[in-house]
Amino acid sequence: MILDLQRFQAHAQPRWSKLESLLAALEGRPDRRLNPTEAEQLQELYAQTAADLNRVTHGALAPDLRQYLERLVARAYAELYYAPPTRSEVWQPRRWLRIFAAFPEAFRRQSRFFVLAVMITALGCALGGLAVRYDPASVEVLLPADYLRNPDQRVQQEEKGQNRHLDSAQIEAAFSAKLITHNVQVALLAAALGVTFGIGTALLLFENGVLLGAVAVRYAQQGLGLFVAAWLLPHGAFEIPSILIAGQAGFYLARLLLRRREDRDMRRTIREWLLLIGGLAMMLVWAGMMEAFFSQHHAPALPYGFKVAVGAAELVLLTVYLLLMGRGKSAAEAPVSVPSESK
Amino acid sequence: MTGFEPTRLPTTAELTVATPEGVVFRLPLAGPAPRLYAMLLDTAIVLAAVNGLGWLVYGIFAKAPGFGIMVITLAEFAIGFAYAALLEGFWNGQTIGKRLFHLRVIDQAGLPLRIEQAWVRNLMRVFDALPLAYLVGGISALSSPLLQRFGDRVAGTLVVRETPLAAPAEESWTRQKYNSFMDYPAIAMRLRRAATPELGSLIQDALRRRNELTPYARREIYRELAMYLQNEIAPFPDELVEMLSDEQYLINAAGVLFADQRLSRVQG
Repeated sequence: MILDLQRFQAHAQPRWSKLESLLAALEGRPDRRLNPTEAEQLQELYAQTAADLNRVTHGALAPDLRQYLERLVARAYAELYYAPPTRSEVWQPRRWLRIFAAFPEAFRRQSRFFVLAVMITALGCALGGLAVRYDPASVEVLLPADYLRNPDQRVQQEEKGQNRHLDSAQIEAAFSAKLITHNVQVALLAAALGVTFGIGTALLLFENGVLLGAVAVRYAQQGLGLFVAAWLLPHGAFEIPSILIAGQAGFYLARLLLRRREDRDMRRTIREWLLLIGGLAMMLVWAGMMEAFFSQHHAPALPYGFKVAVGAAELVLLTVYLLLMGRGKSAAEAPVSVPSESK
Repeated sequence: MTGFEPTRLPTTAELTVATPEGVVFRLPLAGPAPRLYAMLLDTAIVLAAVNGLGWLVYGIFAKAPGFGIMVITLAEFAIGFAYAALLEGFWNGQTIGKRLFHLRVIDQAGLPLRIEQAWVRNLMRVFDALPLAYLVGGISALSSPLLQRFGDRVAGTLVVRETPLAAPAEESWTRQKYNSFMDYPAIAMRLRRAATPELGSLIQDALRRRNELTPYARREIYRELAMYLQNEIAPFPDELVEMLSDEQYLINAAGVLFADQRLSRVQG
């Protein structure tokens, strides 16, 4: 049977227009909440228009009209079935502050991915260190930058303050911003590389580990262990864990994508990924400031022992924060918001 | 025309949503080209904003340019990610560029996207933008049935094309007053009964696109359609058909099939 389009359209047009103006009103509202009368009206108009769409789809081939009705039905469907976040959820500063507790909680829930990231980095470290220890020629390949190959020179320069200028606080400020953006970018990439089923993440962590191990052994060989610890630890205490957490986020994402399609509910589980990223970004801001303002000062201005102690204290604080923050509360209410990934 | 198989796939990809009520509707997906243009426009806007901010910061921190650089670098970085994430999150899936190019980001299920999804798909840009000019994202989108780049796959979102909002206007050719086919109600009814919706729309489309066709193509198509109708479906008397052009023949046939006509009572 062929639908008499003209008559059908003339007959149904009023309800379409009504639905259109109702939708326009709803979509203009920032919180997208309906009152009961509107909900009822929307439901009714939606049902009628959907029926009209079915008739047009099966009774006639009127592409333009069908497209128009589809758009209308799609918009009504979105308004009916979307549960918008409440205004308070979005604009309450206290909820934003909750990230300080939510980040360690997410970290603990997904700790097995963190362990994996640590293991891969440690493997890289060991290989890099062993290579430099037993095959000095490999230094040329493993440590591209000049200053990494010849630590002596660099240490002398650093200690004499040759890289230092008069107005050093200014330069340090600019330097910290560069460091923060660069590190966040690398960390984000490690976390995003989870879509390569974790292979990219693993490679990035491994490379990072090799470099770390090679530098450490190279400096230690030359008897500069204390210097390098004092140089790297104050910011490394936050920077290295945050790259590991980025790896954790990457592996978490990979695990999600490896799930069967029916089992994964990206919309709910991806919040965990975002929490990890938000947390590690905060850590990298701190690390960038430390690297620019603190790590670059050497003895005699800052004794090496003091710098190492600061780094160790940071490490302890970070560990306590990640392991204990929000633990008391989480027993009572946490599992509601995000389903645990570990079975 | 029997045994005719469509040799071309639909040129536009679409998302088909089946609602719990059993209604099926389609949303046309946006191709890579408009998305690229929208992104370039957004990039220009972000750059302009960052540069404007840069001048301001430069003025404020004139005495301490190092801190100025710090503020600018961090602000530039933050704005680069937050611009699209916040706009898409709070403006129902649209940035300024997307709005101008009639694009919208929505959830895979046809619902508005959530703020978390907006963040995820925009943070994933660091991967999609690799190694240059969004090569990874572009290949991902072209190889995906839903035209999703990796960020969209992870966030469960997709970009749709906004179609016109207005109901189609009445076609001029349906408004002719006198239709000579109505003088032969029996044959007209036969045409009505035998014609499939596909054939009906074929005629309608051929007439609607009259001015898009080259004269030769138009003549050939109209001749073929009219011959098919006359020979296979509803043979109107020769003395009538000889007086009509192929185009008029089709207009009459469309009038029988679609327009408001007295015959509709027999439809049942």
